[in-house]
Amino acid sequence: MKIKVTSLYVDDQDKALRFYTEVLGFAKKSDFSNGPFRWLTVASPEEPDGTELQLALNNNPAAKAYQQAIFQQSQPAAMFFTDDVKGDYERIKARGAEFTMPPTDVTASTIAMLNDTCGNLIQLTQLAHY
Amino acid sequence: MSDREQYTPGPASGAEVRKDGEKWTLILIRELRHSPEKVWQALIDPAQLREWAPFVVDGSLGTVGTTVNLTWVGTPTPLETRVTRADAPKLLEYADIRWELEASGKGTRLTLSTKLDRRFISMGAAGWHISFDVLDRLLGGTPITRDEAMEAGWQRLNVEYAQQFGIKAPNWQLKNK
Repeated sequence: MKIKVTSLYVDDQDKALRFYTEVLGFAKKSDFSNGPFRWLTVASPEEPDGTELQLALNNNPAAKAYQQAIFQQSQPAAMFFTDDVKGDYERIKARGAEFTMPPTDVTASTIAMLNDTCGNLIQLTQLAHY
Repeated sequence: MSDREQYTPGPASGAEVRKDGEKWTLILIRELRHSPEKVWQALIDPAQLREWAPFVVDGSLGTVGTTVNLTWVGTPTPLETRVTRADAPKLLEYADIRWELEASGKGTRLTLSTKLDRRFISMGAAGWHISFDVLDRLLGGTPITRDEAMEAGWQRLNVEYAQQFGIKAPNWQLKNK
């Protein structure tokens, strides 16, 4: 078994695609529609055949309640790893994205948190030994 | 619709990078089939910028010293941006962006210089390449939307520019329909 894809709920798939590609720097990997359902994933250019992130439309009331609750608790809905969290922070912030936490040293890593504009907080993590 | 379906960006070309530390300067040159005066309007007018540029502004960029709110595609927060040069129809500067326009035959040679993080220089080149295609069609009266144009070839151009700039190219295995 392999972990090939992980899912993230978003409130608008077109808006999410723009944010995850043009702001964060990922690229679209899959985009298939079947009626109202749209399977949309992105991947990292550093690992194009790595784990894909599905941007799933959140039209499920239970999922919406969960998403809003963890957002309000400042819990990240997803975590990405980088080898330069400061550089990513400067670049993404310079574009006008909103960080809820600037790069901050914690045990064995430096982390930052940003708002993806689609209902989620995203944590960027740089491990100290990277 | 048929124009949209037929649009495919041309090969990566007309770009140069000056490598200096973490921030590199991207220089992109494009020959447009429109007069400098017409191109100038497209560079300063919020309504036209909204159609082709990777950002929107809430006021004209045409007057030196004015400050506008500039919002990059996909981001929530406008950035206060001051126009530092505006010599119509030749030279325009704001933030990290500098435009030069030169009459070239019946058209315009447009030169963009902008600073970018070195890791994102090929992405930026691909994005601006597509924006220039959208601009050319907007001015020519056969518009396509920037979102659709991005779909049609941004990832391929990103790889081509990375190769031209001698940086690691993303090895996309595209599965898009």
